[in-house]
Amino acid sequence: MASITLDNVGKVYPGGTRAIGDVNIQIADGEFIVLVGPSGCGKSTLLRMVAGLETITDGEIRIGDKVVNKVEPADRDIAMVFQNYALYPHMSVRQNLAYGLKNRRTPKAEIDRRVNDAAEILQIGQFLDRKPRALSGGQRQRVAMGRAIVREPAAFLFDEPLSNLDAKLRVTMRLEIKELQKRLGTTSLYVTHDQLEAMTLADRLVVLNAGRIEQIGTPLEVYRKPASTFVAGFIGSPAMNLIDARAVPYLPGTAHAGTVGIRPEDLTVAADGPIEMQVQAVEELGAQRLVHGHTAGEAITITMPPTAPLSDTLRLTAAQDKLHLFDRQSGARIE
Amino acid sequence: MKRTIFSNQLLPWLLLAPQLAITFIFFLWPAGQAIWQSFLREDAFGIKTSFVGLANFRALVDSPEYMNSLQVTAVFAVSVTLLSMGVSLLMAVSVDRMLRSSRIYTTLLVWPYAVAPAVAGILWWFIFNPTIGVLPYALDLIGYDWNHIQNPNQAMGLVVIASAWKQISYNFLFFVAGLQAIPASLREAAAIDGAGPIRRFFDITFPLLSPTTFFLLVVNIVYAMFDTFGVIDATTEGGPAQATNIMVYKVYFDGFVGQNIGSSAAQSVVLMLLVIALTVVQFRWVEKKVEY
Amino acid sequence: MIENRPGLNILSHLVLILGVVVVGLPLWVAFVASTHTATDFMSGTIPLLPGPHLIENYSRMLDSGVSTSGTPPVARMMLNSLIMALAIALGKIAISILSAFAIVYFRFPLRGLAFWCIFVTLMLPVEVRIVPTFQVVAGLGLLNSYAGLSIPLIASATATFLFRQVFLTMPDELVEAARIDGAGPMKFFRDILLPLSRTNMAALFVILFIYGWNQYLWPLLITTDAQYYTIVAGIKRMADAVDGLPQWHLVMATAVMAMLPPVAVVIGMQKLFVKGLVETEK
Repeated sequence: MASITLDNVGKVYPGGTRAIGDVNIQIADGEFIVLVGPSGCGKSTLLRMVAGLETITDGEIRIGDKVVNKVEPADRDIAMVFQNYALYPHMSVRQNLAYGLKNRRTPKAEIDRRVNDAAEILQIGQFLDRKPRALSGGQRQRVAMGRAIVREPAAFLFDEPLSNLDAKLRVTMRLEIKELQKRLGTTSLYVTHDQLEAMTLADRLVVLNAGRIEQIGTPLEVYRKPASTFVAGFIGSPAMNLIDARAVPYLPGTAHAGTVGIRPEDLTVAADGPIEMQVQAVEELGAQRLVHGHTAGEAITITMPPTAPLSDTLRLTAAQDKLHLFDRQSGARIE
Repeated sequence: MKRTIFSNQLLPWLLLAPQLAITFIFFLWPAGQAIWQSFLREDAFGIKTSFVGLANFRALVDSPEYMNSLQVTAVFAVSVTLLSMGVSLLMAVSVDRMLRSSRIYTTLLVWPYAVAPAVAGILWWFIFNPTIGVLPYALDLIGYDWNHIQNPNQAMGLVVIASAWKQISYNFLFFVAGLQAIPASLREAAAIDGAGPIRRFFDITFPLLSPTTFFLLVVNIVYAMFDTFGVIDATTEGGPAQATNIMVYKVYFDGFVGQNIGSSAAQSVVLMLLVIALTVVQFRWVEKKVEY
Repeated sequence: MIENRPGLNILSHLVLILGVVVVGLPLWVAFVASTHTATDFMSGTIPLLPGPHLIENYSRMLDSGVSTSGTPPVARMMLNSLIMALAIALGKIAISILSAFAIVYFRFPLRGLAFWCIFVTLMLPVEVRIVPTFQVVAGLGLLNSYAGLSIPLIASATATFLFRQVFLTMPDELVEAARIDGAGPMKFFRDILLPLSRTNMAALFVILFIYGWNQYLWPLLITTDAQYYTIVAGIKRMADAVDGLPQWHLVMATAVMAMLPPVAVVIGMQKLFVKGLVETEK
C-alpha cells in the first residue's frame, strides 16, 4: 500500500504536441481516485504514465516515497486492469493469474495460496483451468481483476475496465469493484469517460480536459460546485443548463457573470416564475419527464414529475443558491 | 506501429544478426559482385581481367542468341501464365458450384504444388518421350508426329505444359479463395436481373475477381521466368537449337558451362532489374488493388 | 449456387473430372512405369496398368540405386533432401521470427535500413546471382556440405514479413500486461509471442519444407560429391544415363519417391498448407 504523488507532471510528444500539462495530484494511501473526462482528454495517457508505459517529460511521479519516473513498469509495484482485459489467450486462468508472480520468483506454495484466495474472492474458482476464450465477458473481467489482486500491489490502475461489458453487467461489476477496493484497501487510480461510473466509484474525482486538470474533489463537491463551465457541463445527467447571463438579466446577482448555470432539477415550474420557457420536445423516462425548450434563444432542459401538467409555455423559477456563476472569458466559477 | 516497445538498443541487433549476416554474405555481396563482374572481361586463359565498361551489355544487345533468349522467355512466360491461369480458373469456377464435393476435388487438384519443377519436367519428358511415351503414341494414331527432341515448337510446348501443370494448384487455390470472397448477394441480384450463368460470369464474377487475377498474373510471370529452371534443365536443356533457352537457363549455362563470367554477370544484372521491376509492380499496383 | 440447373452441374463435374485426370496423368504414368521392368518398354509404348515389379524396383533403388549413373542409393538422397528441407524450413522460421520481433517490438537507429536489407532479398533469387553466390560459398569451403546446401537459402523476407504481420495484429495490451507482470523482452518472446504464433509457424513450415525439398539449381551447383546429392537434383543425373537410354522404370520409381514426402505433407496437412500459402502472399 502506498500513496501516489503527481508533481507538475507533463508529457510532450516528440513531435511537440502536448498531451499532458502541469498535473498535480496527491493520492492518499487507500484512496480511490477516478480520472474522468471526454475521449482524448489525456486521462488514459496519464494513467499509463503512472504505470510506466508512457514516458514522462516533465515533473515527477512518486509511488510511496520513491520517484518512479524511470522505473520499469514491473518494478513500480502496481497492477493494471486493461479495457480489453489483455489476458494471455494461450494460458489457463490459473496460469494467467500466476504469470506475474512466477516472473518475480514467488515460491510455488505462495503462488498457489494467492491464486486460490483471489479465485475465491472473485468467485472464479471453477474456471481456473479454462482458457480465457471459454469465458464470458464478465468472467474475463473478473480474471483481469484477479491478475491484479494476486500481485498484492501498492496500487491498482484501472483503464476503463468496464466499457466492454453490457449495461447491466457494468452496474453489477461497478459495485463489486467498489466493494473489493474497500475490502482490500488498496490505493486505486481508475480511468473512465462515464461520469456516472466516476461519481459512484470515486472517493475523489479528477476531471480532465485537454490534458489539464479542471477540478479535483469528492463527487458531491464537484457536483455542487463545479469549478468551470466544462465541469458543469460534463458532470451530471441531464447536463447543467449553461445560459448566457444576458439572456436572463432579471435573475438576481448575475450582473457580473458571463454564464449562468442551473441544473435541470433546480428549475421548478411556478406560475409567477421569472423565466419563460418555450417547450419544444418532451421525453418521458417513466420516473420523471425531461422537457427541452428555450428561453430568449438559449436552450434549456428541465426535469419534472411525470404527472405535472404540460403546456407550450412554462414559467420557471430557481432558488438563488442554486445558481452557478461562471466568468465569460475563462469559464471559471465565480463565488 | 506498436504503442509500447522495449527500450533495449543492443538486443534488436543481436536478434537481427543471423538474418542480416546471411543476407549480406549470400545476397548483397554476390549481387554486388555480379554488378562488378558485369563490367569486367577475362582473357581467354582466365588469367587477366580488365575493366570494359558497358561492353558486356553491348555484346548482349548485339548477340542474336541473347535476343532469341529474350523472345523465348517472353513466349514461354506468357504461354505458361495463360495456360495455367485459364485451366485453373475453369476448375475454380466449377468447384465454386459444388457444395459437398469441393473438398475432394480440391485435394485432387492441389498436390502438384508439392512436385519439384525438375521432377515435373522429368514426368512430362517421359510422357512425351518420342519412342516410348504415351502421348506421342496417341498422337501418332491421329496422324500427328511428335518429336520434341528435334522440333523446336514441340519442345517449347513440352516445357510450357510441364511448367503450367505444376502451377495449376497454386492458381486454383487463389481463384477459389477469390471467388468465395465475392458476396453471393451480387450474383443473386444479377440472377434476379435476368442474367444467366455465363452472362453472370462475364458481367459480375470476372470483373470482381480482377484483384486476384492481376495478382496471379504477376506471380505466374515471376514463376515462369525464375522458378522453371528445373523444368528446362531436366528436359530440353535449352534446345533444340536454343528454342527453349530462357534467360535464367542462359545465365547458368554461360556462367557455369560456358565459363563466360562477364557475360553471365551482365545477364544477371538484367535479370535483377527485371525482378526489381516485377516486385515493384507487385507491391505498388497490387497494394492499390484493381477494384471497383 | 443460384438456380438449379442440372445440366450445368453435370458439366461442372465433367470439367473437374477431366481436370483431375489431366493433373493426375503424369503421376499415374510414372507410377505404372515404376512397376515394370526395362524389357516391358521395348515393345514401343509403356503399359497403362501397374506391373508386378513394384517392390523389386523400389527396394533396389532405395538400397543400391543405379551405379552407372554415379548416384548414391535413393535412401541416401532422400535423407540428404530431408536434412536440407528441415534445415531450410526451421532455419528460415528461426531467423525470421527473431528479425520480425526486433523490427516490431524495438525502436533503434538504422531500423529502417535493416528492414530494407531484408526486403531486398525478395528481389535477389538465387537464379539471378548464380555465379557470384557459388564463388562465395566455394570461398567459405561450404561446397559438398549440409551447411552449404541450407544456410545460403535461409534468409527470407517473406517469412519475416509474415511474422511482422502476425505481431502487428497482436494487441498492444499483451505486451503491456507482460511488462507489468515483470517479463523482459526475451521472456515475453518465449512465453507469449512464440506460443501465440504456433499455428503461423506450422503453416509456414509446410510451405518452407516443400520449398526446401524441391530445391534444384542450388544443390546441383554445390554438390559434386555423390554423398551429398539430394533426390530432386540426383534424379536428373540418373535420367542422363551415360550408357544411352535411361532405365525409365528406375527413374520413375525415383521420381515417385522424390514426390512422395512433399505431396504427403500437402495432402495430409491441407488446411495448414492453404493457410501458409495464402499468408505468405500477403
